[in-house]
Amino acid sequence: MQYSQKVIDHFMNPHNVGKMEHPDAVATEGSPACGDQVTVYLKVNEETKVIEDIKFQSYGCASNIATGSIITDLAIGKGIEEAKTITWKEAAEALDGLPPVKMHCSVLAVDTLRAAIQNYEIAKGLIPIPEFSKETIIEELKKVIYPQVGEDIVTLKMVKYAGLDDGVATIDLDIPKFDNFRDNVVEEIREHLEKYPQVKNVIINY
Amino acid sequence: MKRIYLDNCITTKPAPEAIEAMKEFTDEKFWFPGSFFSTSEEIASALKVFREKFAVTINSKQEEIHFTAGGTLANNIAIKGILMANSGKGTHIICSNVDYPDILTNTAFFEQNGFEVTYLECDSEGYVSPEKLKAAIRPDTVLFMTSIANHVVGTLQPVKEYSEVLKSVDHKIYYHADACQAYGKIPLDMNELGFDTMSVSAHKIHGPQGVGALYVRKGTPLAQTIHGVNRVDGLNPGGINIAGIAGFIKAMELVFNNFEENSAYLRKLTDYILAKVEKEIPYYSINGALGDRRAPHNMNISFDYIEGEAITMMLDLNGITVATGSACASQGLQANYVLMAMGKNHVQSHGSIKFTVSRYNTIEEIDFVIEKLKSVVETLRSRSPLYIKNK
Repeated sequence: MQYSQKVIDHFMNPHNVGKMEHPDAVATEGSPACGDQVTVYLKVNEETKVIEDIKFQSYGCASNIATGSIITDLAIGKGIEEAKTITWKEAAEALDGLPPVKMHCSVLAVDTLRAAIQNYEIAKGLIPIPEFSKETIIEELKKVIYPQVGEDIVTLKMVKYAGLDDGVATIDLDIPKFDNFRDNVVEEIREHLEKYPQVKNVIINY
Repeated sequence: MKRIYLDNCITTKPAPEAIEAMKEFTDEKFWFPGSFFSTSEEIASALKVFREKFAVTINSKQEEIHFTAGGTLANNIAIKGILMANSGKGTHIICSNVDYPDILTNTAFFEQNGFEVTYLECDSEGYVSPEKLKAAIRPDTVLFMTSIANHVVGTLQPVKEYSEVLKSVDHKIYYHADACQAYGKIPLDMNELGFDTMSVSAHKIHGPQGVGALYVRKGTPLAQTIHGVNRVDGLNPGGINIAGIAGFIKAMELVFNNFEENSAYLRKLTDYILAKVEKEIPYYSINGALGDRRAPHNMNISFDYIEGEAITMMLDLNGITVATGSACASQGLQANYVLMAMGKNHVQSHGSIKFTVSRYNTIEEIDFVIEKLKSVVETLRSRSPLYIKNK
């Protein structure tokens, strides 16, 4: 596996790293169990809604740290509406690419940035607390990357069915038993869905 | 920048003397055995001498030695050979949940083909007790397998006690041992240990890659699992790598000429790694057994609050090669199965660093590595949300 020089540079000397005192919003995504966790802190200008300061912390591998660093570069100075549109593909491209098996790091970094912005919007009464529905599940599945290809499992048509019934999320996957990454994909789906208090149980069939 | 290599569990630097010993057979005696020509005869007698020399190191006989293209091939010839020759007598296999993938991928294959497997569970040090083996034996058990030294944490299994358990059973249970991490590090006596088959790899002891050996106790029936032209060895047909074998045997002689001294030196280096970490770096835990219950070349330590791939990458950029059990550095993005089986949590597994030394490493190198490691750990902890929360 080869990292680009840019990944190495951001890994060795990350930008905007560390804890922020008195942030306007903060979000943490990922979990130590899965081996990667990112925290993003924001300071937002109340009038202009421009991100004036941003910091991140990372528990994770080289590409986790590098993607955390690059999203702070991409978001700083932007209005929150514009910052919300930064995609994980753009973040990966800004690092001159990531190995497919590491694309989930970019998804996690962008996801954490968006969650921090959403927390800001909720705190300021700009948006209501989002409702949880089947669409939320599908949006979360779009953040699960199949490591062999570096694309999400919805785009790759690996999800045959996604349903929500009385707090039970059921996902049917099209993934062979002998697939090297099957257990990882299943773990990732659980991590993405179990963080919602509305989800009481996750059933994954394959 | 001179690289400091501490990943000798994966492969070792070939000894220059071993490379030199190969030249006789690459430059001049490149012939094949198996015919009546004098050239053939010369290779056949060289092979016999090599087998004899190897046999002495494990107290066996030359006719019990088969050279192979590596440890994995040796494991496959033995495991498949025993099971296919004896499937009529039973279809139950026993091994442990911390064995080397050569064993575990073979059991997965046989599970799909009508065999049942009992995976003995290890304790918190990666040790699998003989009592567990005793309790798992059934009338239809045909094979028990073990990795003598664990490839992740170096814990040595009680292979002699296993042998006594197997002997006490009133039917024959074949006993296969993977010695790839143990050969050349701890004494292995075939008369004492009672293995029916045992695999060895050359490149783990400073020999060339792509060469190994399989010990098969005289009288052990093995089905032929590889088919092709029979030049020297019915179990392993096709051509032979005579130059590779010559390099292997030279590397073996270099180890066994100073066996105790060599092993003591490896132990001194790994003890020193641990002592330095204890002194210099807070928040760590040792993975595996200590003292003479551990292979002398292995030290495995988890550093809390940070992730192993980041540690190994930063050390790599400082010219240091070590290994990690982190999911991020693995092929399937899963936490290391040995550490998880030992009851370590995900963070301990992701933050584990495996240092494996060779006789080419020095105390000065270890000093340099720990100095760099200390600063890498401090840097990564300063970026980690877990460290700040827990401090």
